[in-house]
Amino acid sequence: MSTETGLASYRRWAAEPLRTAPRYSIVIPAYNESFRIVPTIGAIAAHVSTLGEPWELIVADDGSTDDTVALVEDLGLANCRVLVADQNGGKGSAVRRGVFASRGEIVLFADADQSTPIEHFADLLGKIEAGHDVVVGSRAADGAAVANKSKVRDLFSWGLKTLQRGAFRIPVSDTQCGFKMFTADAADLLFRRQVIDEFSFDLEILWLAHRFGLSVAEVPVSWIDAPGSTVDALQVAREFLRDMVRIRANARRGVYDADNHDPKPLSDDPRGQLAA
Amino acid sequence: MQLENHANNLQLSGRFDAHEADAFRTSFESIVSAHGGDVHLDLAAVDFIDSTALAEIVRAMKRCREGGHELVIVGVSDPVRVILELTRLDQALTIR
Repeated sequence: MSTETGLASYRRWAAEPLRTAPRYSIVIPAYNESFRIVPTIGAIAAHVSTLGEPWELIVADDGSTDDTVALVEDLGLANCRVLVADQNGGKGSAVRRGVFASRGEIVLFADADQSTPIEHFADLLGKIEAGHDVVVGSRAADGAAVANKSKVRDLFSWGLKTLQRGAFRIPVSDTQCGFKMFTADAADLLFRRQVIDEFSFDLEILWLAHRFGLSVAEVPVSWIDAPGSTVDALQVAREFLRDMVRIRANARRGVYDADNHDPKPLSDDPRGQLAA
Repeated sequence: MQLENHANNLQLSGRFDAHEADAFRTSFESIVSAHGGDVHLDLAAVDFIDSTALAEIVRAMKRCREGGHELVIVGVSDPVRVILELTRLDQALTIR
């Protein structure tokens, strides 16, 4: 049995590039997150390093105009890669690039503000290991705890959730929580077909999972509204409504019947290399 | 976040983030006003600390030093230690 302490596991992960393929890949999409991302990386690295499996961290920049990229690169973490985007393409595009660059058997994407604590990783992992293809962190499932969510955001969430349930009948109570886990095969299937690049990509991905008959589980999480969000709730709500129509139209036109993206090998992206 | 203060000791637990910054500042200032001297901050039971909270700790450190005293971090959980190292605040703070 390993006697390595949690801190020693982290230090080894931080200093030594993996010699084997990672079991876990964690993708953080990031747009102008210089104020928030370093503590989030610290919390994730400290926790996941204790799980005893090889893992990698991928920060998928979304065309940040602040110091996000330089800050993460300067950390010099051996198993953290930064994927640089020349322009802002939307959270959905950042997550997709991160997923395509991932090498793990299991892929989690997590928001840059640690609004869902990384301690829920094992809860989602348990469902993947039980045979599910996709596991969704949920703020609406029984047992979830939500803190500091504004009334306006609450109202938007309720309205969009109600509409989504009626229009798509996805058996998931919270499509938008930024904490979702996939098997590598499921992630590959879904993100190849994805066409929505903005915030409603989650809805599209879960609808596709439903349509392809993948097994989707929901896990209640605690969620803390982190101040300093770069998200405009009203704009997101408008986009969400527009994208619900787009997803339906895309389905009618057969857009999802074939791949819409070809995962680019990492070597084609000269800046998508190890940050260290 | 749970926050307890005894004499010159301030003990936090849970998540220390922007939502908790005001409560921390109030407790810290009450300790400084009531006791003077070094202030001991125990973060052993804190599982996450965000940038606003880090700034609040730096502010508290400066406040102590202005009075000729120290803010001494007397307990640090692994995630908080990693965050302090990544932000290089471990080099600025007094950690025992």
